[in-house]
Amino acid sequence: MAKIVTIVSILIFLGWMHLPQKIHAGGMEQIASAESIYGWEQTESHQIPWTQSVQMAEATQEPRLTLEGQDAGPAVEPIPDPLEPVNRIFFSFNDKLYFWVLKPVSTVYSKAVPENLRVSIGGFFDNLETPVRFVNCLLQGKFKGAGYEVFRFLVNSTAGFFGACDVASIKLGINPYREDMGQTLGTYGFYPGIYLCWPVFGPSSIRDTVGMGGDMFLDPLSFIYLPGNEWAAVRGWEFVNGSSLVLGEYEDLKEAALDPYVAVKDAYHQNRESRIRK
Amino acid sequence: MVSLLGSAWAGEPTDQVKETTDKILAIVTDPALKVPEKAGERQRLIRQAVDERFDWEEMSRRTLARYWAERTEAEKKAFIDVFGQLLERTYMDKVEGYSGEKVLYVGERVEGEYGAVAVKIVTQQTREISVIYRMKKKGGSWYVYDISIEGVSLINNYRTQFNSILSRSSFESLMERLREKVKQG
Repeated sequence: MAKIVTIVSILIFLGWMHLPQKIHAGGMEQIASAESIYGWEQTESHQIPWTQSVQMAEATQEPRLTLEGQDAGPAVEPIPDPLEPVNRIFFSFNDKLYFWVLKPVSTVYSKAVPENLRVSIGGFFDNLETPVRFVNCLLQGKFKGAGYEVFRFLVNSTAGFFGACDVASIKLGINPYREDMGQTLGTYGFYPGIYLCWPVFGPSSIRDTVGMGGDMFLDPLSFIYLPGNEWAAVRGWEFVNGSSLVLGEYEDLKEAALDPYVAVKDAYHQNRESRIRK
Repeated sequence: MVSLLGSAWAGEPTDQVKETTDKILAIVTDPALKVPEKAGERQRLIRQAVDERFDWEEMSRRTLARYWAERTEAEKKAFIDVFGQLLERTYMDKVEGYSGEKVLYVGERVEGEYGAVAVKIVTQQTREISVIYRMKKKGGSWYVYDISIEGVSLINNYRTQFNSILSRSSFESLMERLREKVKQG
């Protein structure tokens, strides 16, 4: 146990190390240099500052913008990747795992189980995982989101047959607040640290790996007592069911990419950062 | 503070994105064009509609970023051509897979010659995908120079890939890889 605590604190410490860099990225120098389109281009790999606010505004319905197309929102810095050689090995391992195992299994599964039922099964698992979203909403001070999550859980567990039908979203327009611990840490100012590509679990960062560990303690599925094999089977079922609904998306990404490893890394990072800003 | 987003008011950029989207959806859902012998015709029509709205040059400049200035005119032209083809194909593949998703226009922002149009795509499984078109005004029209899907900017994604390639090898080898990629499809 003590060992785990030490490892976690080292990881958190590493996450903090990059904090000043993040502040710097959103600093005034960046914004000052964005005066002309040429300036934007020359600030290599930094996103145009004001465009960030569109995403933020879209989420909150409150555009935070100033005139002249400038905004104090942070620019997305590329994620440091000192472990690239190792990450690439795991990336190609996951690639094979997908094409040789997960895709064939999910394809057979998707032929055996109709789509509606698969969506319902996904909804059931999703409903069970409400505590993860609820607690993380609270930790981020998103009280409306926390309230919505409780409301969704009550409605979907009853009228929605244990989550099989997302009544709250379909009938009442109340969508889930997809918050997790990685995002919570992000809102507290933790930088992702470095990019990690885990075998089986895929793209992550130090921050999000720590977050994933935290979320496990909030996931009721982690506490349901089942013999090891059955527990793995339930998790595996959730995983296969989830993948059966997004088959083809990885292929599309790979098809469009010049370097799929870099494309996945960057897409993961951009998506996480944009979710943290919301 | 200017508050345009979330209001019912839709301006020029939204109108023009909507016009192109509607045009493409009309082609994709046209039963007369779905027959195999019309596949070429259908592709040509989609390509035409996409070309009218997308600014391949602006996209190329933004993805090559600081490497753009180091290119000769001929290199720039060749790059725009091949990168445009890759983007066009990627976009067309997405459109071809259309299966009754709803497209909602949820917001717009305009600042001078720059604009952004926020769209929500709702799938049959009621999954929501948020898309943002970034646009630039040229002449009287608005042209798309970036698309963000769920917070992932296409241009940023390619820029990260190109930077990674160019930091290890030459512009020529990048061009070679691009050409190969386009040929594959």
